[in-house]
Amino acid sequence: MLAEKYPERIKQIFAKYPDKRSAVMPLLYLAQEEYGWLTEEALREVAGLCDIDPTQARSIAGFYTMFAEKPKGKYWLQVCTDLPCALRGADQFFHELCEYLGVDPEHGGTTDDGLFTVEPVMCLAACDKAPVLQNNFHFHENLNIEHAKQLIEKWRAEAAAEEDKDDEAE
Amino acid sequence: MTETVKITIDGQDYHVPKGMNLVDAAKLHGIEIPTFCYHPKMSPAGMCRMCLVELGSVQKDRESGEVLVDENGEPLVRWFPTLQTACTQTVHDGMVVRTQTERVAEGRSSIVEFLLTSHPLDCPTCDKGGECGLQELTMEYGPGESKFRYEDKHHAEKHVPLGDLIILDRERCILCARCVRYCDELVGEPVLGFHNRGRDLVIETVSDPPFDTVFSGNTTDICPVGALTTADFRFGARPWEMDPVPTICPHCPVGCNLTADTRLSADFGGKRAIKRIMPRQNEAVNEIWICDKGRFGHHHSRAEGRLRQPLMRRDGELVPVSWDEALATVAEKLVQHGSKAFFAAGHSLANEDLWELRKLARQTSRRAKLGLCPATVSGAQAVQQAGVGVGTRLQDLGAGDALLVIASDLYEHAPLWWLQVKQAAERGATVVVANARPTKLDRYAAHTVRYRYGEAARVLHNFAAMALRNDKLDAELLSARVEGWDALEEELKGSRVPAEQKSAAEALLEAQNLVVLAGNDGMGFEQHAELMQAAANLLIVSGHVGRANNGLVAVWPGANTQGALDMGFTSEAVGEAWEKPPAMWVLAEADPLGEDARMAQAFDQADFVVVAAQFLTATARRADVVLPVQSFAEREGTFTNGMRRVQRFYVAQSPLEGTLPAWKAFARLTERVKDGPKPFVAAEQVMQEITEKLAPYAEMSYANLAHVEEQFPPIRRDDLYYGGTAYENTGGLGLQWRTDAESPRKRLSVRPVERSARRWEGLLAVPLRVLYDRALPFAASALMDGHVPAPYAELNAEDAAALGVAEGDRIALEAGAARVELTARVNGHAPQGVVLVPQHLGDVLIAAPETCVVQKIEE
Ligand code: SF4
Ligand code: SF4
Ligand code: FES
Ligand code: FES
Repeated sequence: MLAEKYPERIKQIFAKYPDKRSAVMPLLYLAQEEYGWLTEEALREVAGLCDIDPTQARSIAGFYTMFAEKPKGKYWLQVCTDLPCALRGADQFFHELCEYLGVDPEHGGTTDDGLFTVEPVMCLAACDKAPVLQNNFHFHENLNIEHAKQLIEKWRAEAAAEEDKDDEAE
Repeated sequence: MTETVKITIDGQDYHVPKGMNLVDAAKLHGIEIPTFCYHPKMSPAGMCRMCLVELGSVQKDRESGEVLVDENGEPLVRWFPTLQTACTQTVHDGMVVRTQTERVAEGRSSIVEFLLTSHPLDCPTCDKGGECGLQELTMEYGPGESKFRYEDKHHAEKHVPLGDLIILDRERCILCARCVRYCDELVGEPVLGFHNRGRDLVIETVSDPPFDTVFSGNTTDICPVGALTTADFRFGARPWEMDPVPTICPHCPVGCNLTADTRLSADFGGKRAIKRIMPRQNEAVNEIWICDKGRFGHHHSRAEGRLRQPLMRRDGELVPVSWDEALATVAEKLVQHGSKAFFAAGHSLANEDLWELRKLARQTSRRAKLGLCPATVSGAQAVQQAGVGVGTRLQDLGAGDALLVIASDLYEHAPLWWLQVKQAAERGATVVVANARPTKLDRYAAHTVRYRYGEAARVLHNFAAMALRNDKLDAELLSARVEGWDALEEELKGSRVPAEQKSAAEALLEAQNLVVLAGNDGMGFEQHAELMQAAANLLIVSGHVGRANNGLVAVWPGANTQGALDMGFTSEAVGEAWEKPPAMWVLAEADPLGEDARMAQAFDQADFVVVAAQFLTATARRADVVLPVQSFAEREGTFTNGMRRVQRFYVAQSPLEGTLPAWKAFARLTERVKDGPKPFVAAEQVMQEITEKLAPYAEMSYANLAHVEEQFPPIRRDDLYYGGTAYENTGGLGLQWRTDAESPRKRLSVRPVERSARRWEGLLAVPLRVLYDRALPFAASALMDGHVPAPYAELNAEDAAALGVAEGDRIALEAGAARVELTARVNGHAPQGVVLVPQHLGDVLIAAPETCVVQKIEE
């Protein structure tokens, strides 16, 4: 339970707003951080904390692409495919990226090893640097597919190294 | 007078109320601005863009404020460069609008075209077809063809239950958010929301329970397309095949105006049946809303269990007999018992029935007593003196006004009033809720006053004492025509007022207008009489009587309790019948044996019992003769609501063969008793006689009760300003009878009330009324079964602990002659020392508070 685990942080968040319901977004982030994604339970918890209906909490979670409503990979990759970016080849870039990772080229998805989730999203406010890829909220701009492949391999290696470390630790 | 501003629409100048929405202001002058998402009863959202207009404002010189003119002397107008949504504009002086230009036409046509790219156009199988906003607006403004490819149409789920009564078709939804705003703003239960965005945007609920407010059906009216349908009517009939018949809800004292949509129906033997119930607009009563009990509770009129033949007891069994035989037998018994016959009516008989029952009683004996069952309320005189003024509309109360709700759980007892009081609070009215237990309205109250059961009258007495203390008296009224003030003043002087009541009273007494809604939660009729008198005292001494939006609203238990009191039926008479059981009972739509264990002994010694009923109730099973009478749907008549508005209902459904309207049955009996008068042939004649003999009804007739006036905002089903499928009022707005306070020559009287609360030992069982119960006839509308809980009792946590009872345990409860087994709930609603027992969920025969013994049933 968030309320038990993070009483201080929740208090700080509430302190910033005139009423409880206004704190819903930071609390959704907190829940996402804790559970990896916004499970039904997480939404109910946040709704309870903010004194709103779970339907309202989910409405907010559903509107913003930065809230995940499904489990996602360790690396959560979002590519803007909106019109301005598409004019700079972002849609093509997205398809190629999906193919490289072996997921549905239209809608994206999560790789079988659970490492990567790719999603097309609306404007990420980097229209002038398209194609843009956001990895766990970090921007990589002016990409082409070759550059992206290098990034993917770098992350893959990173993850493998971490795993080895964990194994040793056990 | 309301302030106005000058606006110009399509070259014409208009004066419109300041602060009005532009779409409404245009409509006020007959100019249509088409809308989908805007609804005059809700705040604007600007979601659909259908209301696009050219918008500008007259330019003025900054310094002088003079209107600037061009070389032709015409005012200079600064136009917005693009089309603007009219629904998000509030009118202001100098606003200039064009609604008929080519640009506007193109804007509207494009919006329709866009909407249709994601609309299935399955009108032939859509319930809304024929009364659909999208159809109407497409015909009027649509381009007639589409630039988009049909194959690219958006597809979505077509069957999404939002609860068990309302079903969503996501493909038809045009995402106007009317349903969302309705739940959030009007009802205050935001259980519908949007999910996702862009092309994937959908309406959904993840609330638990889902969409189960008692006002859910209204969303299907205001939805501008066929996206929301009721489980009751889905695929039931086409709108144009049905005949709309104006009627009145028989379920509670609000008296919502309804329209019954009827059609010849194969599953009703080819006869005319009600296919659905819709709201009918009456801005003084229910506006355009109704609750789900009214909307879905009509099935009882066609239920299996309806009685279709008179029954008579032979060799201990009730067997079918002819009307003639039944009436002859009853008449003979009436003559035989004379003054020992007792007559009692229920709370939802029509005025015409009550009048004929009264005539029958008088014909039987000049001294005949008229009782009201259940015998739980009193206070006719308080209403007659201090009832709300003629013309009162709860929707007119706002900032500067106050409403006091006492001894009532409005949400359960009169849902529409709950909705209106809540909205008044949101408009800035001071709402004070005084109850012995928490209720749903507390959330919207500026002050909540909690008293112990039995002390309700004392609270109002204290409020009146505050009026005296703070010099909030209407001295002129008191000196001119109020009797008993001296004695009351003496009593008020001595009152000690607790602090929380002081602040609540002060808030109320500050108000311009004050309405008191008084119920009878947790009291017997004796205490209720005192509460009503205390309410009248408060209103009279503070001068909140005799004008619109001031006075007393009685939250009676039934749709026509007021009518019954007007005709002289009283709880007090039933009280006397307990003391001195009559030899013969004549009961009309009253079921004392089904609701009050104390009544059994009063029937033990009865020689003859006659029951007029729609169903074989507990009392009917004990009867010697049972007369099958018609439901509200099958006959005409009038009800008088809790604001004394007499309202007509009409014949909607083919009567069941073998049944009679109750008034006719009684009239035929009267004729047989000592050569009584010939029966009338039409209900209208009965009303005619009522108006001749009953003073308050003197100015009424079926003709003037049927009088209608233009309602604003106008909600018409085929309007381009699409307010939904509520019906226009063609059946009549009804008339309120005038209180004594409104007749300047009538004297008013106040008196000190009995305030010493009855103390009780141990636990007090307090019966509650809940909206969805198993009382007949409503119980026979099986559609609502899922919403009626199993019998339960609410215990206070401390009492439960002392008894060793936990949430969910089975308990046995004994109160006087009543004994029931129930499931315990321990949820913080019951005050200490009190067990709250909802009536009519099972065999809970407790009609008034009574001390009780509770025991846990070990499994
Ligand atoms: S379901 Fe109806 S009322 Fe609700 S958003 Fe869709 S179209 Fe509007
Ligand atoms: S509020 Fe009362 S009168 Fe109106 S529909 Fe509901 S039960 Fe009927
Ligand atoms: S449109 Fe792609 S980042 Fe703005
Ligand atoms: S945007 Fe004005 S009616 Fe929808």
